[in-house]
Amino acid sequence: MASNAAVPFWRAAGMTYITYSNICANLVRNCLKEPYKTEALSREKVHFSISKWTDGKPEKPTLRSDSPEE
Amino acid sequence: MVIVPATTGQMGVLPGHVATIAELKRGVLSVHEGSETTKYFVSSSFVFIHANSFADIIAIEAVPLDWIDVNLVQKGLEDFTQKLSSATTELEKAEAQIGIDVHSALNSALTG
Repeated sequence: MASNAAVPFWRAAGMTYITYSNICANLVRNCLKEPYKTEALSREKVHFSISKWTDGKPEKPTLRSDSPEE
Repeated sequence: MVIVPATTGQMGVLPGHVATIAELKRGVLSVHEGSETTKYFVSSSFVFIHANSFADIIAIEAVPLDWIDVNLVQKGLEDFTQKLSSATTELEKAEAQIGIDVHSALNSALTG
């Protein structure tokens, strides 16, 4: 049974849709004029905290703050 | 009427359109209201057309065309064309290809 659509090239290379979509958005942001570009770069920042759970209890959380040039 | 760049081709959406979910490829989205047209460039997005004639465009980035700097687009296109020729892994090639696709779409949005 043949598939009904060719796999997109990025999925064939092992990338997920969300990664693809984020890359596209970053590229568009980098092509903006000022002052829109500085506003847009603030949207690229990611800030979250992760904690691993062992034995049903959370360990100390780590904070991750990624800036666009990761 | 709204014209969206679906992956299956340009799609025009009028009130009363059948309920649809469509994936959009990066490109120009134009909103025609009477005699006025407003154009936006969207990075990859989805359009959800509801049965009650409401349509949602879900995009990470959607910018009016005059926010785009043509010099940065040209430079980006050259950079990624160069990256594609020097890419080794499948992933690098895919990223470079995405770069070329997005920048050429931006370019034709500005010139078209």
